[in-house]
Amino acid sequence: MRKALVIQEDIIILKIIERLVVLNHYECKAIRSINDLDIEDQSENFDVIISDILFDGIAPLDFVFQIQEIILHKSLIIVTNMGQKKIQKEILASQNVIGFFPIPLDMDNIQKLIA
Amino acid sequence: MEAEILKLLIKFLLLVLLITFGSIAYTMLYRKWRTRRLKLIENSFANICSLYLYPKPNEKPNLIEIQRELKAVGIVPSKPRNVQYLIDLMIRTQRSILGVNYIKLKTLFTQIPPYGASASKLNNKKWYIKARGIREIYEMDQSQYTRELIRLRNNKNIYVRREAQIGIVIFLGWKSLRFLPYLKRQMTLWQQIKIVEKLNDLYPVPDLKHLRRAYNSDRPYANELIMRIIRKFHLTEDVAYIIQFIDNPKFETREAAIYCISSFLLSDEQLVEIKEKFKNINNTEQQLLLLKYIQRISSEIDLSFYKDLLYNGNDIIKLSTADILWNNGFKEEVQDYYYHQYTQNADSESISV
Repeated sequence: MRKALVIQEDIIILKIIERLVVLNHYECKAIRSINDLDIEDQSENFDVIISDILFDGIAPLDFVFQIQEIILHKSLIIVTNMGQKKIQKEILASQNVIGFFPIPLDMDNIQKLIA
Repeated sequence: MEAEILKLLIKFLLLVLLITFGSIAYTMLYRKWRTRRLKLIENSFANICSLYLYPKPNEKPNLIEIQRELKAVGIVPSKPRNVQYLIDLMIRTQRSILGVNYIKLKTLFTQIPPYGASASKLNNKKWYIKARGIREIYEMDQSQYTRELIRLRNNKNIYVRREAQIGIVIFLGWKSLRFLPYLKRQMTLWQQIKIVEKLNDLYPVPDLKHLRRAYNSDRPYANELIMRIIRKFHLTEDVAYIIQFIDNPKFETREAAIYCISSFLLSDEQLVEIKEKFKNINNTEQQLLLLKYIQRISSEIDLSFYKDLLYNGNDIIKLSTADILWNNGFKEEVQDYYYHQYTQNADSESISV
């Protein structure tokens, strides 16, 4: 079974994405911050990570670089309240990022990417 | 005697200290309990939304079970603060989701408690509760209450009627121009801008039928609002509506007309009309703005118009006209006027010996 990791501070968005991912036949781990990650998660090779970029104590770009460095994954999708064009451009240019969706978002766009 | 008073004082202070510590402890416990309760509501609501939007295959969402679940976490009419928290969550969620899910959520929110809680605020006597109710209704896109909002469009409180007018625009779009130009009370500039922006965001294709019907309104704020709409949607064919207000006796209407016309390029006939109206404006600042605009959109310099201003305008207009002529290669005309001034002065002034 494919594996997915969802990191969203907003519990409502987190739960909705989690349901969407589960219905697309993924084994999903849904957490509200990077602090909730276990040591075993670092060795998991996630098929997809769907994450926010706004967290306490870390800059959005640094967060993306840190995720890419510490967690093995095939693709990364960003869902965030921070939808500035400049940030979007910089993040999309980095490795493995296949989507950037500012909130408000249409979940169908995520479904297309993870199906 | 003094020792007795001292003892009493100490006892009193101890009592005060005890009450203070007691209230601190109570507040801390209450806050902890309250935060836990709000988290519980948030979690339940998140679960409900996710299961409603993405139910298991071949399974339909059970509304009765959803209502039961919400009741279990404290969403009951006797706890209005919990109900208000749920409304805030609903608004937050609806703001975050687009597409088919947005429509699904809209349907869900009409069917679960606290349906009617926002609408009941409309009957409250306090203006801020009424305004909040209206805001909740339009934020949650509950268009079934449009009639109630229409009723509040002329409310005596500015905030209530502002919210009601915004709600009408959100729900009715261009059709709202059946009401807005005929309000009983004045509309502020800020409100006009908000209405134009909302129309642009939600209904970007103009409905000229409803807009043109509103041209009959004689209320100054309505004239300004319509001019701003014509400018925002760049309705070149309706620019004549703006031109008619260029020399309006009312300062604010003229100001709006000059501001709005500056986004358009005009035909020769319209330019002639503007130049004729120019003389009727009795404010130099506005005349200057219009003069700059005329110069900007004209392909050629209309010498007779500028010379007329140079010889007959006031000093500030004369200076600007001279500036325009000088920079467009009509130095001789400016020099002629320069010498003309001296001959005039020499004729009129008596020379003292």
